[in-house]
Amino acid sequence: MSSSSLPRTSQFEPWRLFIVYGIVFVVMAMLLYRLVVLQVLTGGEYKAQAVENYTKSISIPSQRGIVYDRNGYVLARNIAAYNLVITPANLPDDDADIQRIYREVSKITGVAAGGPVTEDTLNFAKQFSACIDGPTIADMVALGDSIAPYSPVKIKCNVSEETARLVRERAADLPGVSIEIEPIRDYPTGSLTANLVGFLGPIPAADEEALKARRFVPNRDKIGYAGVEASLQEILAGQNGERVIQVDVAGKELRNLEAPIPALPGNNVTLTIDTRLQAAAEASLMQEISFWNTYFNTVRISSGVVIAMNPKTGEILAMVTYPTYENNRMARIIPSYYYQQLSEDPRRPLLNNAISAEFPPGSVFKLSTATGAYNEGVVNDKSIIFAPGQIELCDKFTANETCGANNTRPFVDWIYDTRPEGFGQIDFFHCIAYSSNVCFYKLGGGYQDEIPEGLGIFRLGEYARALGYDRRSGIELLGEATGLIPSPDWKRITTTEVWSTGDTYIASVGQGYVLATPLQVIMSGATVANGGKLMQPTIVRQVTDAEGNVQEVWFNPADFTVWFAKTVIDSKGDQTKQYVNPADPNKPLVKPPQGSYQISPFVPNVKWDITKTPLIQEYNCDAGYCQAVEGQKKVVNPATMTAVRTGTRMTVTDPSGTLHKVFTVDYPLPIAVAGKTGTAEYCDDVARKANRCQFGSWPTHSWTLAYAPFEDPEIIVMAFAYNGGEGASVAAPIVARVLQAYFELKAIDIAQGGAAAP
Amino acid sequence: MLRGLSWRNFDFLLLGAVVLASAFGVTMIRSAIAGNEELLLLPTRQMYFAIVGVVVIFVLASIDYRYWLSIHWPIYFVTMAFLVALSSLGLAAFGAQRWFQVGILNLQPTEFAKITIILMLARYFEKTQNDERSWRWIFRGFLWAFGLMFWILIQPNLSNVVVIMVIFGFMLWINGLKIQHLVTVALVGALAVGTLVAFSILGLKIPGIQPYQQQRITNFLIPDPQDTYGDRYNVQQALVAIGSGGLTGLGYGHGTQTQLRFLKVRQTDFIFSVTSEEFGMMGGVIIILILAFVIWRCIRAAQKARDVSGSMIAYGIGVMLFFQGAANIAMNLNLIPVSGLPLPFISYGGSGLMALMVGIGLVESVAMRHKQLEF
Repeated sequence: MSSSSLPRTSQFEPWRLFIVYGIVFVVMAMLLYRLVVLQVLTGGEYKAQAVENYTKSISIPSQRGIVYDRNGYVLARNIAAYNLVITPANLPDDDADIQRIYREVSKITGVAAGGPVTEDTLNFAKQFSACIDGPTIADMVALGDSIAPYSPVKIKCNVSEETARLVRERAADLPGVSIEIEPIRDYPTGSLTANLVGFLGPIPAADEEALKARRFVPNRDKIGYAGVEASLQEILAGQNGERVIQVDVAGKELRNLEAPIPALPGNNVTLTIDTRLQAAAEASLMQEISFWNTYFNTVRISSGVVIAMNPKTGEILAMVTYPTYENNRMARIIPSYYYQQLSEDPRRPLLNNAISAEFPPGSVFKLSTATGAYNEGVVNDKSIIFAPGQIELCDKFTANETCGANNTRPFVDWIYDTRPEGFGQIDFFHCIAYSSNVCFYKLGGGYQDEIPEGLGIFRLGEYARALGYDRRSGIELLGEATGLIPSPDWKRITTTEVWSTGDTYIASVGQGYVLATPLQVIMSGATVANGGKLMQPTIVRQVTDAEGNVQEVWFNPADFTVWFAKTVIDSKGDQTKQYVNPADPNKPLVKPPQGSYQISPFVPNVKWDITKTPLIQEYNCDAGYCQAVEGQKKVVNPATMTAVRTGTRMTVTDPSGTLHKVFTVDYPLPIAVAGKTGTAEYCDDVARKANRCQFGSWPTHSWTLAYAPFEDPEIIVMAFAYNGGEGASVAAPIVARVLQAYFELKAIDIAQGGAAAP
Repeated sequence: MLRGLSWRNFDFLLLGAVVLASAFGVTMIRSAIAGNEELLLLPTRQMYFAIVGVVVIFVLASIDYRYWLSIHWPIYFVTMAFLVALSSLGLAAFGAQRWFQVGILNLQPTEFAKITIILMLARYFEKTQNDERSWRWIFRGFLWAFGLMFWILIQPNLSNVVVIMVIFGFMLWINGLKIQHLVTVALVGALAVGTLVAFSILGLKIPGIQPYQQQRITNFLIPDPQDTYGDRYNVQQALVAIGSGGLTGLGYGHGTQTQLRFLKVRQTDFIFSVTSEEFGMMGGVIIILILAFVIWRCIRAAQKARDVSGSMIAYGIGVMLFFQGAANIAMNLNLIPVSGLPLPFISYGGSGLMALMVGIGLVESVAMRHKQLEF
C-alpha cells in the first residue's frame, strides 16, 4: 500500500498520538479521582444513605388497657374492626385476573371496581384519605402500588364480621385481598358513663414529636381526649414495641436488623363507679327532668348532675351528668358534624358538669356558714334566733357608715311568699332544718344587738375552704373548676368595688359571688356527714397489669402524672422502692411526689380532718372587720360537727324540715337520712338572654344533698338541676330515688353473698 | 487470504483482556439480577454471547480486514437497510426504537452500524490520505458517515451519534486535521452544545431531540432536591451504591443497593455501580485498568498497521471503546448526564458484546498483518 512509501515507523504523527494518549490518560485519571472522592472521602455519607434505604422500623401496637367498674363490668374495651385491604404486590400478574378480583371485591364491599386508571382518576383518588368512600378500587390499588406495593391498601373500612369471614374463606380465589384487623375502642355503657370514661382521638400535631419519641405512631395510635381515657392515659396506653427490619426497594420485609422490642400492654383500670347505681342515678335524673319539662311543656331543666359517693372512703359510686354524649360515636373517627354539634351546645355536653361547671350553691352552702358560726361561738345550742319572713339589713361599705334609709334594704326569706311571718323564734338546728335565710344572714353578717358579731366573710371563707370549696378536689378527671369563695380583696381586684356588709349577708346563704362545682357541694356534705373528715374523692379503685397483678400507683393531681411503684434491687442486693412516671421513666423518685395520693391498690385517703388538722385561720374581728392573726390556725371542735349533723338530720325529721316530705312521704326509707336542700338564684347569660333576671324573682337552680345512715354514713348523694326551681321539690326526689336504689342494690349484693359492694 | 498468516502476531494479551473483561461482566450480571426471576437467564445468555464472541474474534482475525474493505459498499447498504427497517418496524422502547426482536434476542443494528462506520471511515481516510486537509476533506468524510448516522439520529439515539462523531473527530485529528479547522469546529460545537443546554434548561423544545433527553440534561445540571423518585432517582441510587462500596466493597452478592434493588437498570447502564458497591474501589479500578489496557492494545495495533485503513480500523475501535467506556463510567459517577451507553464487555447486551467482539476481531486481523519492519 502507499503508506509503505511514507518515511515514518508509525502510521501516526507522534505529537498527535501523544495528544490522543494524553486525552485518554486525563479522562481515566479524572474517573479514578472521582472514584476516590466518592468511595474514600465521602463514602461514609453514602453508606449511611444506603442503610437508610433498606432500614425500616415497624411499630408493634400495644393493647390499650380495659376499664372496669367496681364490680368488674366492662366500661371500655378493645374490639376488632375489620378492614378489607388489597396488597398490590400480591395481586396476580394477569390483568384479567386482577379485573376479576376487583369485580368480586366490588360485589362484596359495594366500592366501585373502576375503569382504566388514568392521570385524572389518580389525581381524583389522591384527594381522599384512607377509609373515605370515593375513589374506585383500581385507582386506590394503583396509587398504593406506586408508593409501597407491599403495604396493604384499605379498600373498605369497618366491614362486617360476616364479610370478613367470607373474604377469609375465599382467600385462595382472591389473591392479594385480605382482612386487616384494627383494634378500636368500644364502650358497652356508652353515654351512661361517657363523662367519666371519655373517648379517644388522634394524636394532636403539637404532641406528635414528643409522643413519637415514645414510640407512638401518629395517625394510627390514639390518645385519650376526655374522661379517664385522657386523665389515665399513661396507665392505660401501654407502650408500642418496635422491630427494625430490612426491606427491599418494594418495601418487602426481609429480616430483623435488631432484636425486636415487644409491645407492653396497657394496664387495666377498675373504677369506683357502680354501673347499676350510675344507671339508677341517670334514670332518676332523667325522670325528674322529663317530668318537669313535660309539666311546664318547655325545656325548663336543661341540664343536671347527680353524684353518689361513699363519704367514708371518698369513692365516687356514680357521677351522672346530663346532657352528655355518645362516646361510641367517636370510636373510629371523631365525626366533625357530631363534635361541632356537641361543642356548640350551650349546655356543654362535652364537659363533665359535675366537676367543670360552677354554679351558685345556694342554701347547701349554709353548711359552711353553720359550721363557722357554731365553731366561732356566734351561735350555740341554746341560742334562739328570731327569723321573721323578711328583715331590713344595712348594706355598709365602710365601718363608720351609719345605717339609714338610704343603705338599708329588705332581705327576704324563702318562706316569705307562703308565710310572711317567717319561722319565728328558732334555734340553730332549725335554722339548718328550715334553711332559714334570715337566720343565716344574721349568723353570717351579724344583726344589731341580737348577734353583734357575725361570722364575717373572712372566717366564712376559712370554713368553706375547710369543707372543700374554692379549690380543685384533685379527683382523677381533667378540667376541674375551682369554684369561688369571694373576699374583699377579690372583689376589689375583680370589680373595683369595695366589699359591703350586704355582700357578706348573701355570701352566707351561698348566693352572690359564691360559686361551686357539684363535686365541691358533695364534698362539703361528705365532710359534715363524716364528722369533719374530708376524704379525697376518687374514681379509681384499682390498677392491674395485663396479667391481673394489682399495681401500686400514685396519682399527682397537680400535674396529672401517675407514679408506678417498682421494687429495684441494687448492686448490694438491697431492695428499694422507686416511683416511676411512665411518661418520663428515666427519672424515678424515691418517694411519690408531694401532694400525690395512692389510687391503687385502693386505700381511703384522708384529705384532711378539720377536727384534727388546724386549717382555720384565726381572725380578730371588730364590727365585721377582721384581721388575720399571723401563724394562728385552729381546728374545728368535734361538737360543732355534731351540731351541724344534728341540723341536717332535723331537715328530714322535723315535720317542717325541707327534706321531711320527700323522705317520709314520697320516698320513705327505713334508714335514717340527713341532708340539706338548696335553691340557688342565678342570673347567667342564658337567663339574661331569656329576660328572666327580674329583680326579686330570679330563676333558681335546684340542689339537694343527703346522706345515710345518719349514725354511720356510707352513702352521700347530691343532685343538681339547672333551672330546676326549688331544691326540695326537684333535686330532692332525684336524691331520694338514688338512695333507695343504693340500699336495694346493697340488699341484693348481700343476698347474693357477695361482699357488701360499696 | 490466509497466505503468510502468522498467529505469532495475534495479540493474545488483547484477547486475554477481553475474555477477562467479559468473564467479569458475566459475573457482575449474575449478581446484578438480584433474584429477579425475569432476569434469571441473562448471565448464561451473556456467557454464550462471550463464547461465540471469542470464536468470532478468531474467525475475523483469520480473515484479512481488507476483504471487508473491498465490500464496504454492500456492507454499508445492508447496515443502512437494517437501520431503515428499524425505524419503521422496531419496537418503541423507552422512547427510542433500538432493536429487532429475533426470537428471544433483541438485535440492535446500531451497535453493528458503528463498526460499519469505522470501516467506511477507514476506507475514506485511506483513499484521501494524500489529499489536502481542507474543509472539503472534512465534509466529505462527514457525509460518508452521515449516511448511516442519519438513521441513528432519527431513532433517536443521540448518544450513539455522539459516539460516531467522536470517532470521526479523533480520526480527523490523527490524520492531520488542521488546527484552525479544529478551533472552528470546536467553537461551532461549543455553540451547539451551549444552545442545547440553554434550551433544555429554559424548557424550550429543540426539533429532532426528544423531550426526555433534554430533561436528562436539565436534571444533571440542576438537580431537583425534592425529586427522590423521579428521573434523578437512578443516578442518586448509583452514587449511593458506589459510595457505600468504600475501598474493598461489601462483597460479591452483598451490595444492599444492588441486592435489594434500590439500584435500577443494574445489569446494563449501572453495572459499574454494582461492581463498585460489591468490590469497592478495587473493582472500579480493575475495570478502568482493563479498559485502558484494551484501548492501549488497539492503538498499538493501529500504530503498527501496514496501511492507513488497517490503522484506522484499530484506532477507531480503540476510540469507540474509550469513549463508550469513559462515558458509561462518568455517567455512573454522575459526571455527565444519563446516556444509556453500555460499559464495553461488562454490561449485559448480546448485540453490544457481539459488535465489540467483531471490532476486536478486526483489530486482531490488523495486528496479525502489521508492518514487517523487524524482518
